[in-house]
Amino acid sequence: MFKGIVCAKSFQLAVALFILLLLLPPFVPRFYVYILALIYVTSLLAMSLNLLVGHGGMFQFHHAVFYGVGAYTVALMLTKTRMPVWVGFLAGPIAAMFAGLVIGWFCVRLTRLYFGMLQISLGSLVWAIVFRWYRFTGGDDGIHGVPMPPLLSSLNRSYYFILIILALSLMLLYLILKSPFGSTLQAIRDNPDRCAAVGINVRRHQLLAIVVATFFAGIAGVLFVVLERSVFPDLLFWVLSLEIFIMCLLGGWFTFAGPVLGAAITVALRTFVGIYTEYWTLILGVILILLIFFLPEGVMGYLLEILKPRAKEAAGRRE
Amino acid sequence: MLHVEGVVKSFDDFKAVNGANLVVGRGEIVAVIGPNGAGKTTLFNLITGQLQRDQGKILFKGEDISALPPYEICHRGIARSFQIVNIFPRLTVFENVQVAVLSQQKRSHDLFSPAQSIAVEKTQSILESIGLAGKGKNIAGSLSHGDQKILEIAIALGNEPELLILDEPTAGMSPEETAATMELIQCLARTRGLTILFCEHDMEIVFSISQSIMVMHQGRTLIQEKPEAVRQNKEVQEAYLGGE
Amino acid sequence: MGVSYGAADLISQFLVGISRSMILFIVCAGLSFVLGVLRVPNIAHGSLYMIGAFATFSLSKVFAGSYGFWFALILAPLLVVLISLVAERALFCHLYQREHLMLLLFTFALSLIFGDLVKLVWGAEYRSVAAPDLLKGSVSMLGSSFPRYNLFLIFIGLGVATALWVFVNKTKIGKISRAAAVDREMVGMLGINVSWVFAAAFVIGCYLAGLGGALVAPTVSITLGMDHTLIIEAFLIVTIGGLGNMWGALVGSLIFGVTHSLGVLILPQFAIIFPYAAVVIVLLLRPKGLLKSVW
Repeated sequence: MFKGIVCAKSFQLAVALFILLLLLPPFVPRFYVYILALIYVTSLLAMSLNLLVGHGGMFQFHHAVFYGVGAYTVALMLTKTRMPVWVGFLAGPIAAMFAGLVIGWFCVRLTRLYFGMLQISLGSLVWAIVFRWYRFTGGDDGIHGVPMPPLLSSLNRSYYFILIILALSLMLLYLILKSPFGSTLQAIRDNPDRCAAVGINVRRHQLLAIVVATFFAGIAGVLFVVLERSVFPDLLFWVLSLEIFIMCLLGGWFTFAGPVLGAAITVALRTFVGIYTEYWTLILGVILILLIFFLPEGVMGYLLEILKPRAKEAAGRRE
Repeated sequence: MLHVEGVVKSFDDFKAVNGANLVVGRGEIVAVIGPNGAGKTTLFNLITGQLQRDQGKILFKGEDISALPPYEICHRGIARSFQIVNIFPRLTVFENVQVAVLSQQKRSHDLFSPAQSIAVEKTQSILESIGLAGKGKNIAGSLSHGDQKILEIAIALGNEPELLILDEPTAGMSPEETAATMELIQCLARTRGLTILFCEHDMEIVFSISQSIMVMHQGRTLIQEKPEAVRQNKEVQEAYLGGE
Repeated sequence: MGVSYGAADLISQFLVGISRSMILFIVCAGLSFVLGVLRVPNIAHGSLYMIGAFATFSLSKVFAGSYGFWFALILAPLLVVLISLVAERALFCHLYQREHLMLLLFTFALSLIFGDLVKLVWGAEYRSVAAPDLLKGSVSMLGSSFPRYNLFLIFIGLGVATALWVFVNKTKIGKISRAAAVDREMVGMLGINVSWVFAAAFVIGCYLAGLGGALVAPTVSITLGMDHTLIIEAFLIVTIGGLGNMWGALVGSLIFGVTHSLGVLILPQFAIIFPYAAVVIVLLLRPKGLLKSVW
């Protein structure tokens, strides 16, 4: 399936990186294993958002809601019911996908800013309910001590699980982007009116994209619970939604793996800056401003720009 | 094949189209002409569903398409190119046309098959027939204006239309490009059995290749006739030349 | 829920809702105005509101005594104006040519920075401001007692609404702003410096945010996080009112404030759900807002 659509070099690089990361835990301090796992979870969330923002051109302003729904669903299922763990794990993305379907159905009837504003309002309603419903969702406190199966009992084991799921998800997302669905989605981003004139039901396609993206956001939510064993309302808060947006921008939203890079940089910075100062938010704001003024294509976009002419030169010399 | 009867469209108080009539027969090449602001593009937008008419009927192959959304109209067999270049700038030339072909083959929703191996021949043949085969991997946004206009038409061809509507296909082109494009259009009409409806400002072209010309003025249809009859019509001369 | 409420309670709560709406209206009118002219929802609007509240706290301490609050009420919004003017002239104005998404992200960056600046300057404690002596206590109206301050808010709200109406319809700058909202290219072609129009609109919007913050200061505990809560509410109000429509902001604020107050009466724990649900209902029925948007 992959043959021919990934250039051999990139694929080999990715596999090598994957193996390296897989072998890492015994050799590095626990803290770094935790940070890496957190980066993986956040990367998946950012990648799922970028399907809609970078590749679909949609104003998905409250994506965190679906992440939170996925996380809360698995947390609730594992703490309040006696269902087997894998049912809980499956229920997370499915619930997120369902929320995406419902909210998305209302949002795709509108365009651009209205789409975003309606999503913020519907998403905030969900947040408000989760925030206030103390009896069911733990309200402000959230839910803690979510039990995990013995297979995932230690941090290292959780790390492996998260990394493997991330790799699988990334492969799936890559296939999806390279499929007819993906091409059409990008065409809709470039020119929705033209797509309509070419016979594409734009609304339906966007809704399908939302369903796919929120499914992966739900997976990210489940992975979060695997790592942290708890959930809280901040997972559904609009500030997180905009932070993931920034990660996509930082990494480069027109590239495939840009969001991963954005997530990695953001989480790493937040952790290490946080050691020295409590004003991480201020620094994030300054970074964002620098990005807007100097690197609108993101870090990866910028790197690709630099590398492209060199590749062309090399090719020219070979001829 | 296409019947437009008494169509009216206003924007607030301004009547952009005020009684337009048009008949396009299968296999014909029909032109719509008229001074700027006559309502030609609005009429095209009404036919292809970008706008909804206030009054009147639009029939295609006997079916009333007046209330259908653009993507449905496309599936009925009408494709169109736009006056201002309306392509997918971030996709490659190949992908631009392929999107239309995929839509035609109803494969736009395929999630897990690689796009680069679907509908390749079809897309390539369209690119070859319009002369862009060598530029397949170029990013569409980087093409010259003339090439982008041709890509416009190629995308429309991807839908295998029966009726191809071209809104000022040679606008902004040099004389050589214009001649080449018009020859291309005629050739396509012949080889693919297309019916063509277009509008243009270049009268030489219009009179040389159309079998029927509809003249619009201030939103109204003045006449629709064979080229010779139109050339000699008094009302047309007044509208264009201010009555000499 | 077996408590029964008399008509007096209902009316009094209704009026409380209206007075809360007035603050929301003042803030949202500013947001809507900027949205209409610059076509960008200013996410930093909430932070400026918060700065207005904290500044009122500090200023009313500086000018101790019963006139402290009045001084603060005048100066705090001006401080906010100064801050926003600096941000606008130094950075924001260079982005006017870029896509709207970039402008929106810039305002988000500002909100992050301002939020932390407030933490830096004022710390994380709760602050409070006392109402001025003139406005302390209640008035008995329609069978129950009604806080004087709330009455004051209603009058101020009406005053601001009138002032805005006069500004937009009768003054030159107001009319130009309205025109720029509809067609900025045209305004540019008339020889008017569009950048200055944007700056003026931005500053006016920010003034209203600061004023709202100053007015709310005696009625709530001033905390970090006020900006986040407010900006969501303001966004929702502006959306249901109609983007860029200041009367829409009034309608939206009234809906929001009144449903919240009634929610407090009916289901105190879930009071905040009522306005959110009202917003959702409005948007499902009229996705583009209740009144015509400027776009």
